[in-house]
Amino acid sequence: MQRILDIALNDLRIIFKDRSIWINLVILPIVISVAVGYANGAGFTGGGTVSLRVDGFDADASAMSAQFLDAVRAGNANLVLCPMDQTEADLCQLGDEALTAELAQTRLEDKVSLATLEIPSGFGAALARGEAVSVIYRSNEDATAPSYILQAVQSAATRLSGAQIAVQVGGQVADSLSFLQFSDDADRAAFLEEIRGRAAAGWAADLITVETVQAALDPATTQTSGGGFAQSIPGIASMYVMFTVLPAASAFILERKNWTLQRLATLPISRAQILGGKLLARFVMGMIQYAVLFGFGALALGVTFGSQPLTMLPVMIAYTACVTALALALTTFITTDMQAQGITLFMSLTLAPLGGAWWPLEIVPEWMRVIGHVSPIAWAMDAYREIIFYGGGIGDVIVPIAVLLAATAALFAIGVARFRFSK
Amino acid sequence: MLPDPRETVLVRLARAIRQRCADHKGDASMQETLVQVRGLSKQFKRDNGETFFAVKDVTLEIRRGEIFSLLGPNGAGKTTTISMISGLLTPTQGDALIGGNSITKNPLAAKKMLGVVPQEIALYPTLSARQNLQFFGKMHGLGGKELDRAVDEVLDLIDLGDRDRDKVDNFSGGMKRRVNIGIGMLHKPQLIYMDEPTVGIDPQNRRRILDTVLRLRDELKMTVLYTSHLMEEVQEISDRVGIIDHGQMIALGTVGELIQKVGEEDRLIFKVGEQPVAEALLRRIESEAATATRARYERREIANSDAGALATAEGILTVYATRGRKALPDIIRLADESSLDILSVEVREPDLEAVFLHLTGRALRD
Repeated sequence: MQRILDIALNDLRIIFKDRSIWINLVILPIVISVAVGYANGAGFTGGGTVSLRVDGFDADASAMSAQFLDAVRAGNANLVLCPMDQTEADLCQLGDEALTAELAQTRLEDKVSLATLEIPSGFGAALARGEAVSVIYRSNEDATAPSYILQAVQSAATRLSGAQIAVQVGGQVADSLSFLQFSDDADRAAFLEEIRGRAAAGWAADLITVETVQAALDPATTQTSGGGFAQSIPGIASMYVMFTVLPAASAFILERKNWTLQRLATLPISRAQILGGKLLARFVMGMIQYAVLFGFGALALGVTFGSQPLTMLPVMIAYTACVTALALALTTFITTDMQAQGITLFMSLTLAPLGGAWWPLEIVPEWMRVIGHVSPIAWAMDAYREIIFYGGGIGDVIVPIAVLLAATAALFAIGVARFRFSK
Repeated sequence: MLPDPRETVLVRLARAIRQRCADHKGDASMQETLVQVRGLSKQFKRDNGETFFAVKDVTLEIRRGEIFSLLGPNGAGKTTTISMISGLLTPTQGDALIGGNSITKNPLAAKKMLGVVPQEIALYPTLSARQNLQFFGKMHGLGGKELDRAVDEVLDLIDLGDRDRDKVDNFSGGMKRRVNIGIGMLHKPQLIYMDEPTVGIDPQNRRRILDTVLRLRDELKMTVLYTSHLMEEVQEISDRVGIIDHGQMIALGTVGELIQKVGEEDRLIFKVGEQPVAEALLRRIESEAATATRARYERREIANSDAGALATAEGILTVYATRGRKALPDIIRLADESSLDILSVEVREPDLEAVFLHLTGRALRD
């Protein structure tokens, strides 16, 4: 074991003697992760939650309309009602402009806002009279897909309608009771307002709640998983593990050319020790690559990695081992450095998008999803998504880990059987 | 005409070799066999699918404490042989025992006795000389103070103590060669293989390396297996020599024994330019020149580097004589009588070049 460690440490020393390694190990992966994270819909407010911007027109400007808007906000913590929720940091992206109907239409078309909500004049008065009233909701969303915004609006409408029904019923019951006498209209109005307040409080208490098991288990998880960055960090990290580990093929060829590999073969150390040391160094490089990007994601972008983040460690180990074995197998099929560089680049840039490193495989057709799973990245991303987005534990990622380890064993077997110290 | 300066060197070397052989005859440890190579063969496949033997049925023994050299032209199979004996290549047939340990069946035990100096500069160029030595020392199982001491000793021996922390990449070719050799001797092996260690370096560094090889045997009591295509250095340092050609061992013995095979005759080489040499003159030299045994003439075409120019010829008259210096005046007189102008003359005492020529019909450098 000591010889394996000595060989690995020597290789790591040689790798880190080249200062340009920091560009490939730290700078480029971080830049690409951030860029891909934004491309995948990371929030404009930073690395954490996503802001759902909705332009609102409150033509009524009554206490009732304000109550309605509060109920909408309560329906989804990520909703930003513009211009009501405008901040100094220009969360609404309005700048100094006043929101007009034309501007709202343009913002909707440009997807600056995701929806508009119009509360008509007389909204509060109509409700007080017990009359039906409509709010207008405009959106470019897919009608077949569930909309977080629409759900929030409908929820608010239901709450306000319910409270109003309670007021009407309360008034009618009070009028039919002969022993209950109001001194004047103001006394009656106060009574009805008391009912409305109690009804609203009852709604807020959420006597019946629906617990979603699959989509968003833990409020903490769903609030802070990080949206696009939660996709880009594991994806780009996995791609860069390939960039870092696959050059083992080039390193073997260079060592063969320099004859240091042949020299090692003449020393009193076994073939397994030499290969073990060389591959351990590359494996460690892969794990460092993961640590750099996941560390950056957590510390700088505020991404959290599910409720059991340590579960990602066996996934990282299995995936990095698989790529290390792939590097060994590749080494036995290529003879020149040019071939090694070409194959490394080709494999990384093919297997990464195919395996869902750049975008989630959920958005590609079913047949592409199946083909994509020839890439080890796909299995790793399946596991990461399970852990990060659905709060999965080790039991939920056993299959991807098992597949990666099986591929590792197969690729190692090919590599070890075909490996030669000299060509 | 001035004598060839190499002549005096060769005379000196031959004397030193004979003396050394005589010295070592009485040394009992020199008789003990350290390496036994039996029927070693290696077959390779060409790109077109044909197979060929790079080494075929090589058998030899190397005695403890001697410098044994494999001499042969480039491509003769020296490196392939040494690669099999050092465990880098698996033999197609045969085996090699090092200190009784089979390199195929018990390679780790055999390799522990070995230090290998490959022909290539097998170093990590971005590491310093000390870091290279430390790493390979660890691979030999050295550690702690023992490793530091061994590294310091080797740096001292290869005369790089003051450059030990410099990157190897910044070294001259000769300095790299010395580090390359240093790694092979770091763990004080009983046997050290050196594959063409003087290739591509200047005479000063070459001299240093040859002196180092001699010190390995004389001071550190190591056994050395040395390969080279340079007759002069093999002749200078070797106790015994194996001549290898086309993958086969064609002669084996001490330098003296090998020279005896060609009858210990001096060669007198006369350059006569484009002049023809008559058959009658050759017969007269053989019969009238003192101690001359054979005379032959050959004409070589010399390609002219100038484009369009005609090729020129160079005539070589070679006379074999048991005492070359005694035959020389007679040959010059006979040539003068035949109106043959001698452009230059070289007297070569019996050497391995002559042995190779005798055995293969061609010069070592051809």
